[in-house]
Amino acid sequence: MPILEVQELVKIYPGGVKAVDGVGFAVEEGEIFGFLGPNGAGKTTTIRICVTLLAPTSGRVVVDGVDVVRQPEEARHRIGYAAQSVGVDDDLTARENLVLQGRLHGLSKGDAHSKASELLEVIDLLDEGDRRVGTFSGGMRKRLDLAQALVHHPRLLFLDEPTTGLDPQNRRALWNYLRALNDSGVTIFLTTQYLEEADVLCGRLAIIDRGLIKVEGAPDTLKAGLGGDVVTVTLPGDAADELVSKARRVLGEVPGCTEVTIADTSLSLVLKDGATRLAGLVRALDAAGVPVVRLELAEPTLDDVFLRHTGERLRVDEVRPPSRMAHGRRRP
Amino acid sequence: MARMFREIHVLWKRNLVKLFRVPMLLFFSLFQPLLFLILFSQVFGSMAKLPGFGYDNYLQFLVPTIVGLTALNSAFQSGMGMVNDIDSGLLDKFLIAPIRRSSILLGKVAADATRMALQSVLIIAVSYLMGARFKTGIPGVLAMILIAVLFGIAWAGISNVVALRTRNSELTMLIGILITFPILFLSTGFMPAVLLPDWLDTVAKFNPISYLVAALRALVNDGWDWTAMWQALAVTAGLAVVTLTAATRAFRKMVG
Repeated sequence: MPILEVQELVKIYPGGVKAVDGVGFAVEEGEIFGFLGPNGAGKTTTIRICVTLLAPTSGRVVVDGVDVVRQPEEARHRIGYAAQSVGVDDDLTARENLVLQGRLHGLSKGDAHSKASELLEVIDLLDEGDRRVGTFSGGMRKRLDLAQALVHHPRLLFLDEPTTGLDPQNRRALWNYLRALNDSGVTIFLTTQYLEEADVLCGRLAIIDRGLIKVEGAPDTLKAGLGGDVVTVTLPGDAADELVSKARRVLGEVPGCTEVTIADTSLSLVLKDGATRLAGLVRALDAAGVPVVRLELAEPTLDDVFLRHTGERLRVDEVRPPSRMAHGRRRP
Repeated sequence: MARMFREIHVLWKRNLVKLFRVPMLLFFSLFQPLLFLILFSQVFGSMAKLPGFGYDNYLQFLVPTIVGLTALNSAFQSGMGMVNDIDSGLLDKFLIAPIRRSSILLGKVAADATRMALQSVLIIAVSYLMGARFKTGIPGVLAMILIAVLFGIAWAGISNVVALRTRNSELTMLIGILITFPILFLSTGFMPAVLLPDWLDTVAKFNPISYLVAALRALVNDGWDWTAMWQALAVTAGLAVVTLTAATRAFRKMVG
């Protein structure tokens, strides 16, 4: 039985905004499952319904056999939640924050204190434990917030954009921590708008856009599902529209080529067995007299998966992983 | 039952620790009552000589008003703490903890009440040093504090309604001040009813703060005036039903 089961979830806010439009998925015990999508896709709404902070318009969420709408209190014992904005009290120390959460989750005074010390050590804040949180950096606050969600040994952890706003170093540290947590048996459901995060952290993920799940699966399976490598052809910056259309036509006729999309003077496409067919593609462009200033062949990323299923790129301030030039490398 | 007390106790303690961590806030909410106490007792001192004023000196007359004002001051700031907890995401943390939602509100009420009581004690101590004397002694002082705190809790309901509806801390403060001060000055707090113009006398009769002040004033100057005390408690109860129901509703609406 899945530890989290979401069925036909719909949320219409007062005023008629449909934030979630029939979302359904299941998370198995021991997984890291992710929701990948842009801002406004319905990620936070879904997570807030799951953690009993928001009532759904319709649909069902079952956590560990407990219906979160019918038995919210039972469900609360089983889940931990860290929101996108950190929920820590600046006027209290890190330790006091943890003890407070422990006490609210039914721990005795002694247990709450020993759990607080244990967690401070885990998140590497033991030395700063008795400092007021108001003096903490963003990364420290985020870690503390995460520890707060763990005081009561939840079996299922909900994390809403856990690394948004963190610098790359802190982001990586948090990933490592989440992996260790997952290894210790905690199932994690997280949302993210970072492709790399979804890629390296999630065993399975769902791409969500405009309140709907577009596709679901393991990152590698989703990427393989594109059926080829991603080729990006860049024409000169002053290329006329007719030239771009011509390039598109030429590329469309290359064997194994699908899904040509255009952004400015740059065209990207999926090419089956890219490394072996690239030469043919170049020859076709050359024969047609299309000038090329840059040519890239890369393994597909989740952004390419996102593009196929939503028709748009997931534009977040994030650089594409270094792409490999024309000599290419085969997908593992 | 034991569980509920533990939840309330944990949240009460947290709210108080927070309060003492920011002494500036405590200082500023005491500063104004102290200023009023010192300035008004000097500036309006000669008013006690007016025929029909009815009190030996203005300080004796003023102290109960300032005790009430102290409670009201904490009361109209109460909602700001609520806005803070909403903004900082802490309210969400409380809401997903397996505790009763009412414990969140009661923990807040208990902390507000403690703050009002402590501040009242301080004001009473200062006024004692200034020469004020309390007819009903220590039991009377305790009764004064109790009545003022209960009234303050009822008043804090207004602030929390504004807080939950606007979720804006400055607005909560501003509306709190705008509601509290005109009503305070339209009461018998600074002038006995006999010396008020007719229209103001009528307004003061319908003003809940007048009843609070009357009961406190009786305890300081006249003795155990049970009628005044019951009237004050009845007015407080009526006010509390309205404001706390509205606050609870606003809270329920917000948390869905």
